[in-house]
Amino acid sequence: MNNDKIKISTRNLNVYYGAKQALFNINLDLMEKKVTALIGPSGCGKSTFIRCLNRMNDVIDICKVDGSIKVDGSEINEKNVDVNKIRERIGMVFQKPNPFPKSIYDNIAYGPRIHGLAESQNVLDEIVENSLKKSALWEEVKDRLNQPGTSLSGGQQQRLCIARAISINPEVILMDEPCSALDPIATAKIEELIDELKKSYTIVIVTHSMSQAARVSQNTGFFHLGKLMEFNLTEKIFKNPDNKMTQDYITGRFG
Amino acid sequence: MNNIKKEALLKKRYNAEKRFKLYGILSIFLAIAFLFILIFNIFSKGSGAFLKTEILLNINFDQKKLGLNNNSSEKEIREASFDEILKDALLALAPSAPELKQAELVDIVSIDAELEIKKFFLNNRDILNKSYEVSLTLSDDLDQVYKGNFPRDIPEDRRRFSDFQLKIYDELVSKNKIVSKLNWSFLTNADSREPELAGVASSLVGSFFTLFVCLLLSFPLGILAAIYLEEFAPKNKITEIIEVNVNNLAAVPSIVFGLLGLGVFLNYFYLPRSTPLVGGMVLALMTLPRIIIPCRAALKAVPPSIREGALALGASKVQTVMHNVVPLAMPGTLSGTIIGLSQALGETAPLLLIGMVAFINVVPSTPLDPSAVLPVQVYLWSESAERGFVEKTSATIIILIFFLIIMNSFAIYLRNKFEKKWS
Ligand SMILES: Nc1ncnc2c1ncn2[C@@H]1O[C@H](COP(=O)(O)OP(=O)(O)OP(=O)(O)O)[C@@H](O)[C@H]1O
Ligand SMILES: [Mg+2]
Repeated sequence: MNNDKIKISTRNLNVYYGAKQALFNINLDLMEKKVTALIGPSGCGKSTFIRCLNRMNDVIDICKVDGSIKVDGSEINEKNVDVNKIRERIGMVFQKPNPFPKSIYDNIAYGPRIHGLAESQNVLDEIVENSLKKSALWEEVKDRLNQPGTSLSGGQQQRLCIARAISINPEVILMDEPCSALDPIATAKIEELIDELKKSYTIVIVTHSMSQAARVSQNTGFFHLGKLMEFNLTEKIFKNPDNKMTQDYITGRFG
Repeated sequence: MNNIKKEALLKKRYNAEKRFKLYGILSIFLAIAFLFILIFNIFSKGSGAFLKTEILLNINFDQKKLGLNNNSSEKEIREASFDEILKDALLALAPSAPELKQAELVDIVSIDAELEIKKFFLNNRDILNKSYEVSLTLSDDLDQVYKGNFPRDIPEDRRRFSDFQLKIYDELVSKNKIVSKLNWSFLTNADSREPELAGVASSLVGSFFTLFVCLLLSFPLGILAAIYLEEFAPKNKITEIIEVNVNNLAAVPSIVFGLLGLGVFLNYFYLPRSTPLVGGMVLALMTLPRIIIPCRAALKAVPPSIREGALALGASKVQTVMHNVVPLAMPGTLSGTIIGLSQALGETAPLLLIGMVAFINVVPSTPLDPSAVLPVQVYLWSESAERGFVEKTSATIIILIFFLIIMNSFAIYLRNKFEKKWS
């Protein structure tokens, strides 16, 4: 972990839903161009945590985020920071595939269009093609770009959402249980994809599958009841964790 | 023992199911029967209005009597009186009739007959000094006789036409001089005191202008209000009160909106009375909640994951809503709007209050001209004494129902078409 560069770091991060506190003093560093897996029992605050990183919790009225979140050393958890710019840099893939009710092409082209990334139709075509290639979907959809995105299978839709996220060339991709609605083959495809994507992007993935965390990530964080119990190299966490609870959780004794 | 009990219970359940089904079928049958009776009644009464009865009359276009020559200008022709040659032609039907009966002869045709001859002559200038058979509108009473709506065997003093007129009429029928034609003038004429001439053009155009004004005001206002309330407004006491009141507004009796229009638009802002502009404004008030409510429901039905997807891409709130949410909510909103408009089209009470009940015998050319609307026309004609207006009333209802069916079918079409597209 020594010669890695820190991409995002949180300090004393506390999150409240109304009066209820969901996260307690989270201090966590995410390494650039590495995959960080977040694991923990249901309701422990994993989604809440990654939604802080691109300020998606702003959408929830009752949610209050306290503490420091630094991206490349600059604070993003402040009122005067433009959330749209942050979300342009930090993309997100959701648990349930949520393609827009537009064509496959327009699903990918939407981001570049609103951010003005393509000056011409050709450039836009290129972005769409590259994004679909990177998300390993191009071969399957290149002849049907005008069909609605919702006409794809669940696994294809999820790769479409990944393609959509990388279409605006973000620095970080947050994935909240991206494979939970997928079969093993589609899951394997996405895992391969994550392996490929980490060459250019910093990736955070929330998962309930221990084996998936072990396969795709370099660092792993274990959450429990809103607290970060342990954060370390994935190898270390899965071979001999410092924390007894981590040990119990990954061996399936609770959770 | 237990088994027998179970069996009996099962039987009871099945019987209850059968009974429920029967009630359902019965009520549907009753509803359809009522609808059928209503439609049959209106159609059997109203279909006559789409036909008119005409008399073929031999008219001598006498140069001297008309005071015209071959070079007369159009203006001169328009100013000339064709009354005399019309009267001559009518008197020729019964040359030996005593002086007293002559007035009855003249009453056989509609009061517009002179105009009809003039029009005919304008289109056929070369018939000057020749005799020609012209088709003229029959008077309303004989028109009703021809359509079989007037019993002819009641005493003369209780009829609106005399025995003498009836005798002439019967002669004409036997000579095939009475013909029935498609009544285009019912669609192209404005209202008139004479039933055989009255048409729905003024109220048709008035209804169109009124709905247009109503749509122009209520659609953008309704959509913007709904989008703001649903997507942008903070959820607090004030928005809650607004929401409750929008729902209440939809339940306010329409006549109250008419009073409001009378008090505010007419008496305070002095907008022109009896016009589609004010009518449309009043109906827009009534239609607003009927657009806001379905639009909000449609927005609410858009899955939040779509919003999150767009926001996570860095789209602003407005972009998210306008690009991704509103298009999805449009079909539901549009069909709600059309249904709201079709309700506005059939609305009478509020328009009576702002004076759209006046007798208008010209077709309005702008929304600022006094005008009637279809349902008010129904109301006006249903109050008239002449037998001829009865069929006009039903015929206007047919036209109204025709438009309502078209609008509602369009709403259903929109809903089905766009719902299929993305799911
Ligand atoms: N919108 C919300 N309003 C109120 N409380 C919430 C909201 N979202 C989450 N919470 C609460 O915050 C806590 C953490 O939730 P979170 O969704 O982050 O858990 P999670 O680790 O992602 O769980 P899972 O693995 O089931 O997705 C839970 O106790 C949950 O009840
Ligand atoms: Mg979660």
